Amino acid sequence: MKCIVTIELGTNGVRIFAFDLGGRVIASMKGYYPSFHTEPDRTEQDPEQIFITTLYVMKNLLNEHIHPKKYQVACVCFSAAMHSVLAVDKNGNPLGNAITWSDNRAKKEAQELRNTALGRSLYAATGTPIHPMSPMLKIAWIRRYDKERFRQTSKFLSIKSYIIQQLTGEYLMDYSIASATGLLNIHTLTWEADALKYAGISATHLPGLGPIFANAGKLKKAYQQSLGLPPVTKILIGSSDGCLATLGDGVKGEGKATITIEDSGAVRVMGPAVLKDEQMRFFNYVLTEDSYVSGGPTNNGGNIFEWFTRQFGDFTNPFDIEHSMQQLIEEASKVPVGADGLLFLPYLLGERAPLWNANARGAYFGLNIKHERRHFVRAAIEGILYEIYSIGKTLSEQRNISSLSVNGSFGTIPFCTQLIADMFNRPVHLRRKFHSVSYGAWLLSATEMGIYDSLDQAARTVELPDVYKPNKQHHAVYADYFSVFEKLSAKLSDEFELISNLQQKHTVAKTPVKQKTKLI
Amino acid sequence: MTPFSLQHGKSPELRLFPHLLELGMKKNGAMQLDTFPATVTECIRIYYIIEGKFEWRINHQPYFLYPGDVALILPGISFGSDNGVLEIGAFTWMHLDMQKLDNGHILPGKWSGLSDTESATIGKMLSMNSTPVLSRFSEAGKILKCIHTELLAHEIGYQTRINHQVDELLIKMIRHMTQQVVHPGRDFPQTFMRLEELLRQDLSHQWTVEEMAALVGLGTTLFTEKVKSYSGFSPINYLINIRISEAIKLLKRPDISVTDIALDTGFYSSQHFATTFKKLTGYRPSEFRKNHLRNE
Repeated sequence: MKCIVTIELGTNGVRIFAFDLGGRVIASMKGYYPSFHTEPDRTEQDPEQIFITTLYVMKNLLNEHIHPKKYQVACVCFSAAMHSVLAVDKNGNPLGNAITWSDNRAKKEAQELRNTALGRSLYAATGTPIHPMSPMLKIAWIRRYDKERFRQTSKFLSIKSYIIQQLTGEYLMDYSIASATGLLNIHTLTWEADALKYAGISATHLPGLGPIFANAGKLKKAYQQSLGLPPVTKILIGSSDGCLATLGDGVKGEGKATITIEDSGAVRVMGPAVLKDEQMRFFNYVLTEDSYVSGGPTNNGGNIFEWFTRQFGDFTNPFDIEHSMQQLIEEASKVPVGADGLLFLPYLLGERAPLWNANARGAYFGLNIKHERRHFVRAAIEGILYEIYSIGKTLSEQRNISSLSVNGSFGTIPFCTQLIADMFNRPVHLRRKFHSVSYGAWLLSATEMGIYDSLDQAARTVELPDVYKPNKQHHAVYADYFSVFEKLSAKLSDEFELISNLQQKHTVAKTPVKQKTKLI
Repeated sequence: MTPFSLQHGKSPELRLFPHLLELGMKKNGAMQLDTFPATVTECIRIYYIIEGKFEWRINHQPYFLYPGDVALILPGISFGSDNGVLEIGAFTWMHLDMQKLDNGHILPGKWSGLSDTESATIGKMLSMNSTPVLSRFSEAGKILKCIHTELLAHEIGYQTRINHQVDELLIKMIRHMTQQVVHPGRDFPQTFMRLEELLRQDLSHQWTVEEMAALVGLGTTLFTEKVKSYSGFSPINYLINIRISEAIKLLKRPDISVTDIALDTGFYSSQHFATTFKKLTGYRPSEFRKNHLRNE
């Protein structure tokens, strides 16, 4: 019996699934790896730990579930978080840690470039918003501030390229990951000269490009032995988490959009053309040469509700945040729709789409004397989802959205899924059993193996059995409050900047005295 | 409680307790200069605030201490106030001699009733203490008071009882320290990150699950369960992940021997390292090194 193994290199760890050829999950395992925040605005990960963790989890999964059942691994397919940068020397050895998507060190560069003619033309050519997440800006930052590393760098890789290079020896990058670097022309699928120039590199500093179906070479002998995989095992380069989550939910074609809410979130559509936007609010990433995944990302998703829970939840069981979140959600469900007019702006981490304002901050608005603690809880959840809705609303200016799917740990909480259906006034589909990203990687592999003729056909087979139907009355309430939410978010722009500057000005570096004084 | 001061070698009350170098209580009615200068000692110093507000420097960092707070000063760390100023208020203190090991770790001495492993864990955690001020910790005051009372009353069993109380104080301090780290019981990801940091700082140490659990303030069973569900690995296997990842980085540098790498990253021997490394990666460490330094 043959099986397909998918490896998802995520933000907090690696998740590996084994599927049979019918798309049923045989087994799955995960392994955590940390992010390091050595300085403000920096988020890094250790490429060696990612590699070892991946190998370790893979080995455990194969030894415990695949080899004993005599499955034969036909293919291994990768997916990964976008926007990471790892500099390696001429031996392929990392020069420091990988810089991940949420790293903000290039914020000054982004601010300077965003509203220039060059910024606008780079956005139109590359599909990647001018934002510190963009590898193009990160490389420019390294060139400017980390000259020694820049000088020694032979190639700038993504985390996935590094892992694949370790396993097979090939330097490769798929079009999806490449289209999120800010360096790829998404119309011609070649490196964009102006972007390379801005970053200060040439195409030889980057790995070879390939479509998502590309074969990434043969596993090195040592790994064939340690994993127990034969040399014929196909290693597929795969795609990005965002593109594969969209494919995995079957969102290919008119009228469909998918919402992902984990720690952060995104609303995405897929189609044969890119979304053009004067205000540069959307990303356009490449799945294949004739399909683009477009949408808007938010910084503020489940992580904001987690923050709320840590501050205000009851922790009867130590470290059991799921239990505490569940309690808060029960509390919220007893509050009327719209939280009796209490609004929450969830911009605790600044915001990407649709505001693209790193200085945005959170707020409660509309408090009156009748509001209770539970209203704050409900308003927090509603605020996070209004923001998702506002991205969807801007997308629907260009694309008709008639049905939605939801994935990700926060979005698939039934209470949240229902709210999404009500706010959008659209039916919402989901599959709670497993990750859309890995299922997308399975569809990709199955298509490559000839089980499906095309990704279109593969996507059409996706069935999302659970449906949440919108409630018209609730929709009307949310629509009323949303109009105020939207106005506030726009109107506070100046004040966001003022308060954020003051916060920076008056926040002294963390010292023991400082920690102590807050206890007074 | 009336002020007092007992010192080892001077006060007969402490004859049976060579590890108790100093014990006292002070009430300071007026601001005084040059009475509380910064000093460094070889013992552990524990100060508990009863009244007032004190600004003290520990390891050259300023801290404000309020009633109920404890300052915990490790051997070799300077402690005192600027210009020797002593502010108005009252506090009790104890200076406790600790056994020092060659590797720099400290242990409670023979007087202690703690088991060997717990004793080692407590010593280790004391030396890693990053927050020298334990806030809102009135239990420490009660224990210090009890020790004083026992010392004066001389009732039957007081020698045993006092040593028990000192053990109790050490245990309570460690528990308080672990619970003080970011939102007790709330944020496992953050707690886990902090744990990971501590493991990396001292990777050559032979960490036990008990030690790791104590750092997080959980029992071993719950700790193992939490780590497994959060990281996908048992605590020991997670540690192996970190060890191998660090070892890989060192193998890619030509200047360290494989044996040194093995010991620096916490393996018992180069043999143990080679076996674990090969099992996971399929390479012997020396082979792996050769492949990655080919162009040097």
